[in-house]
Amino acid sequence: MPAEHLTVYVVDDDAPVRDALALMLSLSGHASALFADAETFLDAWRPEWAGCVIADLRLPARSGIELQAALRARGSRLPFIIITAHGDVASARAAFQAEAVDFLEKPFDHAQLRAAIDNAFSRESLRLTRVRENARLAALTAREREVLELAAQGLHAKEIAARLGISPRTVEVHKTRIMDKLGVRNVAELVRFALGAGPRPGE
Amino acid sequence: MQPFRYLRDAAVFAPAYVILDWASYFDALGPFNITPWNPQAGLAVAWMLLGGMRQWPAVLATIVAADVLVRGAPGGAFIAALTSVALAGGYAWMAWLLRAFLRGTALRSLRELNILVAVGVGGAALVGACYVGMLRGAGLLADTPAPEGWLRFWVGDAVGVLVTLPLLLAAADPGRRAGLAALARRGEALAQAALLAATVWLIFEGLPGDPAVHFYALFVPLIWIAARAGMNGAIVAVAIVQLGMVAGIHARPEFTLPALEIQALVAALTLTGLYLGMMVDERARANDSLRETLRLAAAGDMAGAIAHELHQPLTALASYGESALLIIARNDARSAELPAIIGKMLGESQRAAEVVRRLRELFRSGTTRLEPVEAGEVAASVQRIAAQIVGTRPVEVAVSAEPALPALYIDRLQVELAIRNLLANAVDATEQQRGGERHVGVQLARQGEDRISLVVRDSGPGLPRDMLERVFEPFVSGKPTGMGLGLAISRAIAEAHGGALAARAASHGEFELLLPCLQST
Repeated sequence: MPAEHLTVYVVDDDAPVRDALALMLSLSGHASALFADAETFLDAWRPEWAGCVIADLRLPARSGIELQAALRARGSRLPFIIITAHGDVASARAAFQAEAVDFLEKPFDHAQLRAAIDNAFSRESLRLTRVRENARLAALTAREREVLELAAQGLHAKEIAARLGISPRTVEVHKTRIMDKLGVRNVAELVRFALGAGPRPGE
Repeated sequence: MQPFRYLRDAAVFAPAYVILDWASYFDALGPFNITPWNPQAGLAVAWMLLGGMRQWPAVLATIVAADVLVRGAPGGAFIAALTSVALAGGYAWMAWLLRAFLRGTALRSLRELNILVAVGVGGAALVGACYVGMLRGAGLLADTPAPEGWLRFWVGDAVGVLVTLPLLLAAADPGRRAGLAALARRGEALAQAALLAATVWLIFEGLPGDPAVHFYALFVPLIWIAARAGMNGAIVAVAIVQLGMVAGIHARPEFTLPALEIQALVAALTLTGLYLGMMVDERARANDSLRETLRLAAAGDMAGAIAHELHQPLTALASYGESALLIIARNDARSAELPAIIGKMLGESQRAAEVVRRLRELFRSGTTRLEPVEAGEVAASVQRIAAQIVGTRPVEVAVSAEPALPALYIDRLQVELAIRNLLANAVDATEQQRGGERHVGVQLARQGEDRISLVVRDSGPGLPRDMLERVFEPFVSGKPTGMGLGLAISRAIAEAHGGALAARAASHGEFELLLPCLQST
């Protein structure tokens, strides 16, 4: 898992809390970036940012949950961990409805925080892999995609050729091109890719 | 039981009982102990209530002695002994009941007063029935109808118990004694006692005609005293009224007063005084407990605000601690940072301790801890709090401050709590306006030498004139979900600062919070 590409973005209005979290995160091998409020974070935000956000629920001006909504509106899918000194049911509900990965009460248990970050990062890695795979799939031609789908169903070249009304030789050429474009070495990997990629609900 | 102490106690009780019996032996029915007022009954009950049933033989002997000394035992030795056993037994039974049902001797509640009245009135009825029954059985008192004799004994004993017993119990109770002593030091008490004495004098000497028709005048000073001084005042006043009437009756023997009517009047005076006094005490206690509840509610509100502040240093502390552990456990190259990290931990624990200290101070005495806070900082907190309250609602908030304001001298946490309440009310108020832009304006301005005024205006409909003061009363809320404590707490905070908080009549909502500032500019 390429954790070194992932950053923990901390949004908290309390300077010592930010400082202490950054220290703890750097010792756990995480890169971190610190922000005092939602506005500063939104101003600095870039679409290519990857990792997760740890945001305090109660921030000046905009709450952590509102920050999450604002980011979603901009198309970011960064996972959120909401932290709060006011662990009431209503705010926990709001956080989970906004699809926060976790909701931790301050002062939090660091094992829980690490587990939440690991959870967020594994989601994020999966998401990044899919983004990369989808980008590669997008490079296929319409005919190549048809071939890939049939191959994924376990059909042989001859059967695919019969279905599409082309020669088995052309099918083989398409397969080679597909494997090239997707960066897979054999048919087994190709099938796995075809099963794992593609449009998914919620994306 | 030490015989010496027993005899010493009896030597106090016996003369007191005989003197009371002698002093109240007037207007009697025949030669017997049936008089309008029997304070010695109250003394006997009090004696056994405080001293226990072992006092019974002394009480019995005293009653016999009093009958002989005061009246010459008009019914003969046997009747004197028999009736004395009935009286002593009845009083002992009343004392036993009161011992069983009263909690201590302080007469603290309406319930305890009810018990005292029930036992006093019921016990006297029973004792009277025995006493009068015995006399009739022996063929004495033949020319008075039995019910009349019984009624007169009953009311006389009941009034005697109701007047004397509370006074004696109060004298025996340290709390009541302190209350009575404090009462005696008040100038008002002297005026009240003087009015009471003057009324008695007017009734018997000053006003023409039959004193009996003026007795009702005694209600005036009695009610004044009970209303102002509560149970303590009522106990004393009832006894003074009683003594005054006895003295008056002794001084003017030419008037033959209708005994039963005086008795009924005295009973009504006594009950009115005692019950009114008890009601006043209960109301005062309810007020105190409401104030206490308010203070706790304020503290609870503060605690909520402070919890956030407390969690911040604790969070930082935990993270620094976790980091230090990681460095030590891995023998990390960054171990050179450890002293700095531990220094930061100490700083954070100081921050937490400060918050806790403030919270504790608030709970203990509601003290405010004043410190200079720049006006700009206050304006910034207003902005921050307003943003939190407004959230996503379409309300415009504008904060302005006069230039070159001096620093405020305030308890920041408490003032922020008051500001939060005012802003929340203002933002909510804009929801009631009909159309138009919704806005809230906050203005900081110099007000005289040493005050800064913080005016919160909202575009809502404003308060009706009759609500301007009422909104500050606890549990008065214009909002269906409100507890009605916010403004009461906010005003308490302003006043604790030597400031003020007031609502203004206007076509829009307007509140002004006055806070002290430094006089440096």
